[in-house]
Amino acid sequence: MSERQTVAGGREVGSVAVSDEGLLVRCPGARDFAVDVLFDGRRIASFWLRRDTVARGGDVLYRWPAPLQRFLHGTTELSLVDHVSGTDLYRAEVTLGTGAGRIRVQDRQGNPLGLDKSNRLSRLFTSRSAEHLEPLLDAIGTVVAALEEAGVRPFLAYGTLLGAVRQGGFIGHDSDADLGYVSECDHPFDASWESLRLQRRLTRMGFEVSRYSGLAFKVVIRESDGSPRGLDVFGGFLREGTLYLMGEVGRRFERAWLEPRSEVTLAGRTFPAPREPERLLEAMYGPGWRVPDPAYKFQTPRWVQRRLSGWFRGTRVGLDARWQRLHVSPTESTPEEPSDFVRWVLEREPGVRSAVDVGCGTGRDALFLARRGVSAHGLDYFPRAFRAADRRATRKNLDATFAWMNLTELRSVLVTGATLSRAPGPRVVLARHVVEATDRNGRENLFRLAKMVTRGSGRFYLQLRGTRRGATGSSDIPRLDLDRLRAQLAARGGRVVEELGLDSQEHRLAGQELRPSPRIHRWVVTWDD
Amino acid sequence: MGGHMGRLNDLKKGYHSVVGLRGRLADLEEEIQECRQVNLRLAELCDVMMELLLPVAERDEAEVAAILARYRTDVSEPLRWRSG
Repeated sequence: MSERQTVAGGREVGSVAVSDEGLLVRCPGARDFAVDVLFDGRRIASFWLRRDTVARGGDVLYRWPAPLQRFLHGTTELSLVDHVSGTDLYRAEVTLGTGAGRIRVQDRQGNPLGLDKSNRLSRLFTSRSAEHLEPLLDAIGTVVAALEEAGVRPFLAYGTLLGAVRQGGFIGHDSDADLGYVSECDHPFDASWESLRLQRRLTRMGFEVSRYSGLAFKVVIRESDGSPRGLDVFGGFLREGTLYLMGEVGRRFERAWLEPRSEVTLAGRTFPAPREPERLLEAMYGPGWRVPDPAYKFQTPRWVQRRLSGWFRGTRVGLDARWQRLHVSPTESTPEEPSDFVRWVLEREPGVRSAVDVGCGTGRDALFLARRGVSAHGLDYFPRAFRAADRRATRKNLDATFAWMNLTELRSVLVTGATLSRAPGPRVVLARHVVEATDRNGRENLFRLAKMVTRGSGRFYLQLRGTRRGATGSSDIPRLDLDRLRAQLAARGGRVVEELGLDSQEHRLAGQELRPSPRIHRWVVTWDD
Repeated sequence: MGGHMGRLNDLKKGYHSVVGLRGRLADLEEEIQECRQVNLRLAELCDVMMELLLPVAERDEAEVAAILARYRTDVSEPLRWRSG
């Protein structure tokens, strides 16, 4: 911890103490305002002095955000700057953590990183050269044209519109580009269906599209250095005088404020904007939108959140948390050996011809099945996880295929089920710790898929951690209420015809050991209709 | 005295009905969200109907497989992991 220093000329900050935990700031009676944190003169993060800190004695503590912590080893010149006025509030050479040398917040290629307003570590515009921005500007133009060709009228939205209107360029502390459009439809059902059609048209034009929700997706484009950059496309619609725009807007609005569209300048290029962009900016950021705020937090009213979430969200349940884990440690610690579960299934199903592994991860079980002569199909939301297995299967001429599937997107489940129900039978579906990782809707879709594939020709095998209602316990994998799960299966015509209790090491429990209850369960399910 | 008790009983009744209303309101909110969630599922179902089931009903085996594969590609995440 460095010595507490008094800030010279500090307008609203008394003193600052820097430690591995964060910044302890004395600000007697100071009003709340946005402060930039700079390392060696480069902005790394921003925070609001009151809103984003916790009280510690008479001071406030700004904890280092989690994504930043792994970089905080070494020495840097740390400065705090009033974001709006640019006034220096504090400056000192500080040493953090255990390492020597300068602190460098950067990616593996040495590109500087910083935290955007959502505290995500990103390559921010402020650290990108004009040469690197050109492909993004090109891409915005391309996606605008593609959306127009697909039948909607897009405009710059959110931070991109804000930067264009306020300063004619990108906001330095922002990291992505946003587009919006307002549908001709006035019902959430029609708006969603239109969004699905837009995705299909863009995919067929050759774009990589990744869906966030029923009314928003990301179009991925490649920059000059090959790095991917996503353009977010937010859909909206007007209903009974209210504009709903994913993901934060619900406000009284008139179509005449949107169309015919106007134009704004962004880094020297012209792009479409709503007819009165100031009105949309006020709907997005409130009346204070003209004052820069690098740590802006949306204050979306509850009624708007409930509507947008109810109508459109729920298609990424559990996925972002898993992505974070995958991102931090890409290999995790998954063993290469097949699971006990798949060996057990195969022992019981000597005649099986096709197997579907839902949530296949690295694909180790699918490869095992293929080596045993079973036609194997691995499904997962993260293709990166099974890429190596897919290559191995091709190289070794194994009968294993791998494909993307999202359990919380009904379309994805139905087309996957329709395809795999045509594989040679008998068929089995395996789901090892999948039911715990999704929500009720995801489980419903898993059962739907399993039934499509195994009804009339095979069985559905589940492994899960469960608990009886009212029981407590903590675990890194969430637990499920077994009675409810059984009821949910039964409602689909599914019957548990066999079950097995295992301890936490997946060893079988004998009858008298089954109390209080096994930690891991295996179920075999067949369908009554 | 009876008047006091009467008022007390009225208050009690009022209190219980307010508490009851709070629970009913929460249930109602939950049910409204469930209704809202039908929109996206219906949109997905219509998309599948239009793009898959109607063409499938008219085609032969090879074309059915091709239609399924094409729709699956349209729905999927980018397949750049194959080349990446």
